[in-house]
Amino acid sequence: MPSVKVVNGKQIVVENLGPIERLVSFVSKPFVRMWHHRDLIAAILRREVRERFKGSIAGWIWAIIAPLLAIGVYTFAFTTTLSLPVSDGTDGKQVSYSLFIFSGIIVFNFFSEMAFRAPMLLHEYTHFIKQTIFPSDMLPVISTLRATAYTLISGAVMLIFQFAMTGSLPWTVLLLPFIFIPFMAFLIGMSWFLAALGAFTRDAGYLMITIVPLFMFATPVFYSHAQLPEPFNFWIYANALTGFVEVMRDVVLFGKLPNMIVYGWTLLISVFSFYFGYWFFDRYRNVIVDVL
Amino acid sequence: MSSSTSSEIVVEAKNLGKAFQLYAHRNDWLKQVLLGWWKAYFKPFWVLRDISLEVKKGESIGILGRNGCGKSTLLQVICGMTLPSHGELRVNGRIAPVLALGSTFDMELSGRENVLIGGAVLGLKRSEVLRKFDSIAEFAGIGEYMDQPVKHYSMGMRTRLAFSICAHVEAEILVVDEALSVGDAAFQRKCLDWIDNFRKTGTLLFVSHSMAEVRRLCTRAIWIEEGRIREQGDPNDVIRSYHRALLVEKDDVQRFSSGNAKQAAAGE
Repeated sequence: MPSVKVVNGKQIVVENLGPIERLVSFVSKPFVRMWHHRDLIAAILRREVRERFKGSIAGWIWAIIAPLLAIGVYTFAFTTTLSLPVSDGTDGKQVSYSLFIFSGIIVFNFFSEMAFRAPMLLHEYTHFIKQTIFPSDMLPVISTLRATAYTLISGAVMLIFQFAMTGSLPWTVLLLPFIFIPFMAFLIGMSWFLAALGAFTRDAGYLMITIVPLFMFATPVFYSHAQLPEPFNFWIYANALTGFVEVMRDVVLFGKLPNMIVYGWTLLISVFSFYFGYWFFDRYRNVIVDVL
Repeated sequence: MSSSTSSEIVVEAKNLGKAFQLYAHRNDWLKQVLLGWWKAYFKPFWVLRDISLEVKKGESIGILGRNGCGKSTLLQVICGMTLPSHGELRVNGRIAPVLALGSTFDMELSGRENVLIGGAVLGLKRSEVLRKFDSIAEFAGIGEYMDQPVKHYSMGMRTRLAFSICAHVEAEILVVDEALSVGDAAFQRKCLDWIDNFRKTGTLLFVSHSMAEVRRLCTRAIWIEEGRIREQGDPNDVIRSYHRALLVEKDDVQRFSSGNAKQAAAGE
């Protein structure tokens, strides 16, 4: 039975927990809530997916045409005009530059869609948040899942092209979920943070519109970290996206295991982003209702 | 209070107060978020003050008051949409809020799809919504329109559909905020009959400007003025004094601003 108890503006947690139990409940809370609201997540997700192409006749075909067109243009541009075969910097395996940048762009587009949308997310759902008993913390999860669907379509297009161009796919492609799921966790955490911030001020949205395009060049989308000069090829990992792009390229394009230090670093970033984002959102969620 | 009586209390509020934060400058909220632990950068604007209320299981409470007196905020606080700034609140039971009916509908989607979303938002499982779908459609009585986008609906049709969803939640506490004013007389009667029936098993909190509805449905009335309870008790008595006050106090243009000024003068 759901019961509410509130004293002086603070929600009272009834259980009296020790430090370990409190840690366990903090770690499990986002997942417990996702499971509890799974039917709501599915219902809103269905609405979101329909909304993206509302009023369009071709609908989902657009989601397939866009990446097809993009990779077609890159292939044309980089095979006919300038030819820049790229190696991964260690064993000298060469891959097509069009696949190289396309893989980077897929990852980056996933990030940028979340970064652009998250600050406006709670504004889009003001009616729900103010007029119904609505788990607003599930909105970043839902929008990440929606973006995941489009990313997976682009990813499938890329794998088909890669297979067509090289005649095979490396077995390491099977490892993709081990980096893709942490990437989703990273983006959900980022969305929690940006959504809470964006509820207070529209500036968060404008800030994202300004800096995200610049990030595209601060991330190894068009180049590899190995091509950078000495100090920068280390410091580029300070950009959280670098590790994800590099690891995903390693397993999909170069067909090798990623550097374990880089992989550990990306996992660390994911966990930190996820829990920091949730902590931040949870802390301000009751204030957010009143400022929306 | 013995445990047997306290278990029958479904809503218990003690000295409940709700203040919105008013900022003198547009960006003071940022200072508040960063430096709020040090000093307050806002003026509190109290919309609810000192509300003490006990609602027993099976009671029907009618809430009266003029526009802007804090009725809706009180309901939002009880539903848990917004936290009170002061005081204690305890709620036991599943609440179905019937506030601002139809405001959450997605205009582009059909009535059918909105029922699925609306049901999920009210906490129903997908299978439950699908099972109850025919009953929801029948209660709403909008026929073929169910498969049209909601943007083609009239206000009345939206209200019908939204109320119909809420009526199928099987809540223990029903919170209704001026929901029925747009429906036609026949639908209003149907809803009132339904609420009347709901009262047999559940608890009702009911805001309305129709005194006839309050007389018919409520066992107790509460009159709220400027965020405080001015009078409560038997519906007939409260309605009588409320009406008397309305005759004396004309619809004053300064009403909203003077309340604010009074608060500022009181130095709160």
